[in-house]
Amino acid sequence: MKNVKSLKLTQISKGIRIDEVTKSVAKKNLLKVLKNLFLYTFIVCMSYILLYPVLFLISNAFRAKEDLFDPSVIWIPKHITLANFEYANLLLSYPTAIKNTLIMLIPSVIIQTFICMMVGYGFARFRFPEREVLFGILLFTIIVPIQTIIVPLYVKFRYFDFLHIGKLIGLFTGKPLTINLLDTPWPFYILNLFGMGIRSSLYIFVFRQFFRNMPTELEEAAKIDGCGPFSTFIRIMVPNATGAIITVMLFTIVWHWNDYYVSAMFNNENLPVSVMLTVLNTRMSMLQAAQGFSSDDIYLLGSTVLEAGCLMVMLPLIIMYIIGQRYFTESIERTGIVG
Amino acid sequence: MARVDLKNLLGKKKFTLRQREAMYGRLFILPWLIGLVVFFIIPFINSVYYTFHKLSFGDNGLEFTYIGLENYIYAFTKDPDYVKRLTSSITNMLYEVPIVIVFSIFVAYLLKDEFRGRTYARTIFFFPVIIASGVVITVLKENVLGSGSSMVASATTIFRAENLRAVMINAGIPRWFSMYVVDIVNKIFDLTWRSGVQILLILAALHNIPKSFYEVAIIEGATEWEKFWKITFPMISPTVYVAIIYSIIDYFTDYGNQVMRMVVTQANNGRFEYSSTLAIVYFVVVMIIILIVNRIIGRRVVYLS
Repeated sequence: MKNVKSLKLTQISKGIRIDEVTKSVAKKNLLKVLKNLFLYTFIVCMSYILLYPVLFLISNAFRAKEDLFDPSVIWIPKHITLANFEYANLLLSYPTAIKNTLIMLIPSVIIQTFICMMVGYGFARFRFPEREVLFGILLFTIIVPIQTIIVPLYVKFRYFDFLHIGKLIGLFTGKPLTINLLDTPWPFYILNLFGMGIRSSLYIFVFRQFFRNMPTELEEAAKIDGCGPFSTFIRIMVPNATGAIITVMLFTIVWHWNDYYVSAMFNNENLPVSVMLTVLNTRMSMLQAAQGFSSDDIYLLGSTVLEAGCLMVMLPLIIMYIIGQRYFTESIERTGIVG
Repeated sequence: MARVDLKNLLGKKKFTLRQREAMYGRLFILPWLIGLVVFFIIPFINSVYYTFHKLSFGDNGLEFTYIGLENYIYAFTKDPDYVKRLTSSITNMLYEVPIVIVFSIFVAYLLKDEFRGRTYARTIFFFPVIIASGVVITVLKENVLGSGSSMVASATTIFRAENLRAVMINAGIPRWFSMYVVDIVNKIFDLTWRSGVQILLILAALHNIPKSFYEVAIIEGATEWEKFWKITFPMISPTVYVAIIYSIIDYFTDYGNQVMRMVVTQANNGRFEYSSTLAIVYFVVVMIIILIVNRIIGRRVVYLS
């Protein structure tokens, strides 16, 4: 309303007719309505595409086996049951698996985010002759999947001997000292500490791009105030990178949570929840023993229990995201320190 | 504390300003550099070493027999699938990645402004990131998206565009054309699922643009279109660049990628040497593609400082 008034006044002073002005305002409003219409249609369509599989999982996970072949049941099962979740809980060893996941995940995420930020900062803000070459190598490490180097890595962690210190000790004791780090979370911690964790190179890349976009004046001001490069980094850059940090942390959590290839390689016991999900099918026979099911029952339950398991694996991530979403959204809104 | 030690170590007076900057830069990237050598280059060289050998499990662990280029020759001349899958992977990437990028910019731009239900919309678009990177997606692909493999037959075809094809053919539209449209529609589902990370990256970049830039543009009388191409796009270009590189890599290393599947299958079958060979040839090819993209796009990226 206010807009129309002020527009009218200025336009009148320029000698333009009022009905023309109202027309242009109406046109603007129409455009806005159309834009909103488009926006909401788009979001509804996307919701369908993106939520369909999840709804499908939910619908199936609550289904009793009587409903499986009932053609009249499409979305809402007639016999709602929690049994699938009970079975999945048993087959996944859910509490233990969650505990194993968290032991691996929490330190990894913190170490990885910090190290990647530091390295990204180094690449973004300092000039040194070999920088471009090393950065090219960084890009290369992103595209080489873990599968190419997993066998040598496995051997490395089976007979762990950092920088041949163990071999050096071996010169005196006669037997090289190596540690078996498999079945511990240490391979993850170590890889993350040296910027080689799951998708670390990508995060370094993200932070590098982020820091390159920060104004140099900030650093100069810090330098004048007597900050060295490291205190500038900790005191000025880290607090201002909250947005990038939260974004990266979200990704690190999700990818550590979902990783099953590396975890399965480095662990035989203490399996995290994602690996348990991959073996859920093979553990179905446990039900036979525990619940006295026939093999027909097992076959019938196969897919619904798996679907319940999928939901249980995803659930913590979804809850985390829904809780963290506010901070995440806020943080990406105030990352700009310039504005 | 660290600062004092470093100053003593580096000896403030002995170095020029530039040398000192270089030194600090190297210190910042040092952890990564050690990791690169110990946990990447050495294992990678080992992997390359495997490709020239035949691996077998003997009494003393792994045993190597030198066979020269035989693995490579086999991959290119005898393997019925490898070259075919490699070329189709590359051609698909060339048109899928641009679609993903344009789509991500578009969605991020839509989600940027305040509107009712924005929080909901953002949550929805994060779903693919949560699901698509794990085991869950494999289960989904088999049970939900797969045709017929599921025991629950209801509604599984809705997710694919089968219905659309039937409608189009009934409406008298030429078969080849409807097939083509259906193919694209089927791809759109897939591509949407692969844009989650890119949307988030670009969204964060959009919020990083200082508001004052737009205020100036409005005063100067810029249209929405001009504002997008003169301010928004250059400002998010570093992130778009990341997103492009990420999309390419994500495409090539995706679990569902045909070549990746070959690599994993061969490793699972215990043919580590052949798996390594396939992987290494593949990543030389991908590396070349990335270098070309880097050449073309890297220079057009705008940095504020």
